[in-house]
Amino acid sequence: MKKPLNIDFVGLFKIAGAFSALLIIASIVMFFTKGLNYGVDFKGGVELQVKFNSKVEMSELRALLSAKEIPLSQLQSIGEAEQNEFILKLDSTGDLNAISMKVGTIFSEKFGNGNFEILKTDIVGPKAGSELRISAFKALFWAILAIMIYLALRFDYKFAPGAIAALIHDVSLILGAFIFTQKEFSLQIVAALLAVIGYSVNDTVVIYDRVREIENMNSGASTLEIINRAINETMARTINTSLTAFGVSVVMLVWGGPVIHDFFFAMTIGIILGVYSTIFIAVPMTVFFERFMIKKTA
Amino acid sequence: MAKGWWLRFSLLLVLVLASMLSLFPTFFNFSEKSSFPIKSKINLGLDLQGGLYMVLGIDFNKVYRDEVVSYAKKVQSVLKDAGIESTLGLPDAAQLNDPKHSIVIMKASDVESAKEKIKEFFSYPLRLTGEEGTRLTYGLGRDFVKEIEETALSKSIEVIRNRIDEFGVTEPDIVSQGSDRIVVQLPGVKDINRAKDLIGKTAKLEFRFVNDEMSPATLSELLAKVKKSGIEYKKGERFSEYVQKINESLVNDLPKGFEIAFSKTMNKVTNEIVNLEPYLLESTSSLTGQELQEASVRIDQEQNRPYVALDFKPTGARIFEDITGKNIGKRLAIVLDGNVYSAPVVQGRIAGGSAQITLGAGDYNTVMSEARDLALVLRAGALPVELIFEEQRIVGPSLGADAITQANIAGVVGSLLVFLFMLVYYKGAGLIACITLLANVLFTLAILLGFGATLTLPGIAGIALTVGMAVDGNIIIYERIREELRGGISPFEAVSNGFNKAFWTILDANLTTALAGLCLLNFGTGPVRGFAVTLLIGIVTTVYTSYFASKVLFDFYVGKKTKTTLSI
Repeated sequence: MKKPLNIDFVGLFKIAGAFSALLIIASIVMFFTKGLNYGVDFKGGVELQVKFNSKVEMSELRALLSAKEIPLSQLQSIGEAEQNEFILKLDSTGDLNAISMKVGTIFSEKFGNGNFEILKTDIVGPKAGSELRISAFKALFWAILAIMIYLALRFDYKFAPGAIAALIHDVSLILGAFIFTQKEFSLQIVAALLAVIGYSVNDTVVIYDRVREIENMNSGASTLEIINRAINETMARTINTSLTAFGVSVVMLVWGGPVIHDFFFAMTIGIILGVYSTIFIAVPMTVFFERFMIKKTA
Repeated sequence: MAKGWWLRFSLLLVLVLASMLSLFPTFFNFSEKSSFPIKSKINLGLDLQGGLYMVLGIDFNKVYRDEVVSYAKKVQSVLKDAGIESTLGLPDAAQLNDPKHSIVIMKASDVESAKEKIKEFFSYPLRLTGEEGTRLTYGLGRDFVKEIEETALSKSIEVIRNRIDEFGVTEPDIVSQGSDRIVVQLPGVKDINRAKDLIGKTAKLEFRFVNDEMSPATLSELLAKVKKSGIEYKKGERFSEYVQKINESLVNDLPKGFEIAFSKTMNKVTNEIVNLEPYLLESTSSLTGQELQEASVRIDQEQNRPYVALDFKPTGARIFEDITGKNIGKRLAIVLDGNVYSAPVVQGRIAGGSAQITLGAGDYNTVMSEARDLALVLRAGALPVELIFEEQRIVGPSLGADAITQANIAGVVGSLLVFLFMLVYYKGAGLIACITLLANVLFTLAILLGFGATLTLPGIAGIALTVGMAVDGNIIIYERIREELRGGISPFEAVSNGFNKAFWTILDANLTTALAGLCLLNFGTGPVRGFAVTLLIGIVTTVYTSYFASKVLFDFYVGKKTKTTLSI
């Protein structure tokens, strides 16, 4: 039989905490300097996905559209080059509907009907965009709050701050990754963030459960010992679960196709962050929060 | 065998068989006519089968203004009946969402009794917002505004549904979102532009008299002046806003109670305005589309041109007869959505309550289809409000097919990876995990079908993730059993303890995930909602399969208390 694990995770909290704090600060700084690359969902505008039957150069498309006064802000080819598939983003105020229809007429005049297909059109008015943005952040806020209340009721209030710190950690670092790579931040990514929150807290809860169980055995051990023991005892489960989730996520990232690619980019990062924040932040933080509370009451 | 095992096993077996049966039509794509007793298939989201998703915002401002104006007139007549003379001051529409109208009482001594009277009759729709000498200003009552909004919203949904039904879409979904939004989902629609046109048409029909005192030359001069002052029609702007700006800037040049409207000629291909012909019209309409009984397409035999024939309700017919009789020689403009369609001269009193709208130039087929759509929107009812397209998502049918294939392949590969890991790491127990995982996916799909919920691409992602995470329940239990075994107890006891101790852990872990899922469901729109739905269903099925179903299989596997080894 293997020797049981015995790593002092609580002792590592200060290093991990400092490291994470640094990354979070970097994310916040980037948020205000570089900013998120909001997609059409949140910014408003028009996004078209077009497939041509024959080879079309990006420069050709750009010239064609600018000659017809279409406010093209971004042109990007997707998939393999021979797919001739492009994503067009139009920045505009005014009548988005008319503009997106005009693109269709320009293409049919130039390439002929049937030689191209508009696979997807997203038109989001500026008002809807800003409202979606607000409700996205609201959803994140409520999710975190609901989880905090649940943990405080179901376990002990001392567990809540650590779990929340871990969730904020996960969310801000995923946002940081999106700012850094300038990948598009869309509705789907918000869904991924909420899923990550769910799974990260899932990890945390499993360990808290073990903490509570050891506490109930009344062994007289200190909180520090109990917590280290709980993390070590559940380590096999933590690793195995994370590995399976990580495996599925990576497979979906690589083979799942362009539509869900960014979603699983966020998931994959989130699963790694979720495990890290559970072991090194959420659970050890309980010790420090408890000491803080004792000092305060003493 | 443990007590009640056969019962629990039968339950599992029945659930699995029932789920499989219900999913046959989906997987083998049975046609509607097949003799298989179950007909329903899983609904595919718009992103998977193509179609149109729209969020329409409602602009209530015009409704508010119409109400405040019409109530001011009613007030005036009530006061007159009470012997109080009054004139209407100017409606103040500056605050669009809270318009006001002032009423000037002629004799200062009557002000108090006028206030009393108005309170007596109109305390619900009107509230006093200002008083200045003999001038009383009224706005709309708070509850009344709420009622207007609710009626406008439900009426709009009804009208849109009628139009869609006539257009012929299978399973359209039209619902309200909040107090000022309508979400329309039309799966599988091919002619998207036509559908959009049909929904967006407010089709507010009005008959308004033309003021010919100002010559066309004078009007053109005024418009040239407006253009000089910088008000110009910009491409992409809403035309109604442009017209409103013109009228605001000309408020002192035009006779009181009249405003400018245009007859628009469009190039059908480029969708650009070719010609604008100005008319000076009465600001208030003499007759509206609400008085309409029937609208139909007929063909002018002499010129072989389709036109739209209108028949009024009895009350409308009487008004129509009355106004045409009083205004012989004047031009009566037929105004649809603020644009002048035609303005024939009234030749004489028109009795019988019918009128016709002739349509612009174009070949026979174009005019015919335009006439048919116009008759349709008029018949299906005019929208009481103006709709703003806030969000539109259109997915072509071929995109969905590719996406399904890709996501499915990735989902299967991902699941196989999990199965392989479980078999290698947990051996015999791993096999149980694989069986329960398969049952989990099966149940998730069956529940999705049962609820009539929609499977979207993020939904497929959600199922793949469920597999990745559901295995967590198995892992928690297995690790627990291993720990117990290390304590040197018998497999039977280890399994029993492992399950008992893992129960609350599994429940807590899944409940917290469910909280995040609920927030997502509440926030999500369209495809994202699909993810939340599969996530939540997945949580329920996970608790059942990874705990209860596993236990049934484990009880069978461990069997007798005397068993000494366990493959885990």
